[in-house]
Amino acid sequence: MSGNPFSFDPESARAEVEAFRRKLEAGMETLKHVGPIELGTTPREAVYTEDKLTLWHFKGAKKPTAKTPLLICYALVNTPWMVDLQEDRSMVRNLLAQGEDVYLIDWGYPDGADRWLTLEDYIDGYLDRCIDVIRQRHALESLNLLGICQGGVFSLCYATLHPEKVRNLVTMVTPVDFHTPDNMLSHWARNIDIDLFVDTYGNVPADVMNFAYLTLKPVRLNQQKYVGLVDILDNPKEVENFLRMEKWIFDSPDQAGEAFREFARDFFQKNQLIKGEARIGGKVIDLKKITQPVLNIYAEQDHLVPPAASTPMAGAIGSKDYTALAFKGGHIGIYVSGRAQAQVPPAIHDWLAKR
Amino acid sequence: MADKSTDFIDQYQAFVRAGLETWSRQFDPASQSSTASPSADIMGRMFSGLTGYGDWMRSMAAGEPGAVPFAMGGVPPFGGPGATPFGYGPPPGAAPFGYGAPAGAEMPQPGTERFDEWAKMAREALSMPAFGLTREQQEEQQALFRAWIDYVEHYARFQTLLQGVNERAGAALREQSAPTDAESMRSVYDRWVNLAEENYGEAALSGEFREVYAALVNAQMRLKVLQQKQVERLTRQAGMPTRTEVDSLGERLQAMRRELRQMHGLVAEVESLRAEVAALRGAKSAVKKGRAR
Repeated sequence: MSGNPFSFDPESARAEVEAFRRKLEAGMETLKHVGPIELGTTPREAVYTEDKLTLWHFKGAKKPTAKTPLLICYALVNTPWMVDLQEDRSMVRNLLAQGEDVYLIDWGYPDGADRWLTLEDYIDGYLDRCIDVIRQRHALESLNLLGICQGGVFSLCYATLHPEKVRNLVTMVTPVDFHTPDNMLSHWARNIDIDLFVDTYGNVPADVMNFAYLTLKPVRLNQQKYVGLVDILDNPKEVENFLRMEKWIFDSPDQAGEAFREFARDFFQKNQLIKGEARIGGKVIDLKKITQPVLNIYAEQDHLVPPAASTPMAGAIGSKDYTALAFKGGHIGIYVSGRAQAQVPPAIHDWLAKR
Repeated sequence: MADKSTDFIDQYQAFVRAGLETWSRQFDPASQSSTASPSADIMGRMFSGLTGYGDWMRSMAAGEPGAVPFAMGGVPPFGGPGATPFGYGPPPGAAPFGYGAPAGAEMPQPGTERFDEWAKMAREALSMPAFGLTREQQEEQQALFRAWIDYVEHYARFQTLLQGVNERAGAALREQSAPTDAESMRSVYDRWVNLAEENYGEAALSGEFREVYAALVNAQMRLKVLQQKQVERLTRQAGMPTRTEVDSLGERLQAMRRELRQMHGLVAEVESLRAEVAALRGAKSAVKKGRAR
């Protein structure tokens, strides 16, 4: 090697090496004392169960002031606890603090018995029944629906099928146009033989899904993240936060085969949602039927659902009351970052309160 | 005399290696302290990441920045480090289900001309008709081996593509002059990560990547289907239920549940109509009574 490739002096590099080594060694002690990692800290009550699904009702420190309950419909990939990760990083807790009455669908972990669940079973079945349960509990015709990512797509579909049951619709990091040039997942999925894929796997294993996500940013997610972990190894609270996120990322459900087939083929490959050609249980999903107020929140640095995939919602739906909210952050940061805690729940609450 | 400017890099590597070794010992299942260890899973991921960091430093020391931009090396999507994609068993170089290369034929390195020639000959040999009592099984095995050769070819193609991405990322990094405002090795590393991801991102969004990626996945699924077919035959012979049978039962059950739900909906509708009719009758009789008065 010819010469020093860096502009800093060797002495400072030595000091850096020494600090790195010390942190590695000290980190062992920190990790030894980390207890079990729990997600979902806000008090809650199961108000409906069916198969693997649980409908949770959250209990805040004070009674809700909102008259209309808010149902959060999460994606099938990963568990829904991203919205209630820990006490100081909880969208649910902050929504409750704003006065919202919050429900959440936990889809559970599908197994072989759920292999044949279709999108119709999820959207016009499970989701519809959860909404009916809440409507009955509150003696209301309609409620507020908040869909996240794939759950946002489900919510859009549901609102076209049962518009009378959705008073206001909030979507977060929700794709509408799956064929934008910056959508890596959709790009990769385009030429895959989805029928062969699902016929072979049955339910799609969570590990397969996770590996696909990791390969979207391989160096950052497989290497740099763990180098960064060394920086915080001497801080037990930070390490716990890291491990909690790590647990959420990798503790993922398998995907029910038929629902995966339909979603990958009709949405990712054929881009039928924006074209108005998607069908759920034979019924056409016409986004123009969505006439209720819609708040669409997207993340500006989202590598899974790029903003360009989400913003076309404005022109695709029939609602004249459409609000777009750009959040400075990524697909996950929109729920867990400090900025998100301060900005997103109040924005949702204020928007709902006006309607 | 050693180049003084590289001394600290050597030391850095030695320190990191020593640190990792210390950790490895701490997490060694045979070691006493392992009882207090956090999950092996996260430790595995962490070690893998740190090893990649060590590799990066070695590359820097060798004057080849970013020689290994991807933590997975040449591993294709959905395969863990050192594993084949989709968690499928036999890596290239090992035949599926214990099938070795055809007798007398040593398999050359995939992705080479010699391999192409070998594959052509092997395919011809594997297309010969089968005879006798085990005819069907022979054909199954031939199909499995052909699918495996196909998969190995796609795997090699994918690796070549990743290698190209690797080289382009390395070239882009070499074109950049050393950062003059870098305060630490870590800041240089972070910049390198950004550049590596940028290069990977561009490649991953190319048409070629999409085509090669999908071809690999599809080839793997074709192989897996044939593997499952063989497992099913063995399962049937052992008198055990097969996955096809279980799937078939599940499909019927799901269809019945949908019908049942539909019927429940109809029952609710009928009940609601009955209530409406009863209410109308009640109203009618009240009107009649009123008139009678």
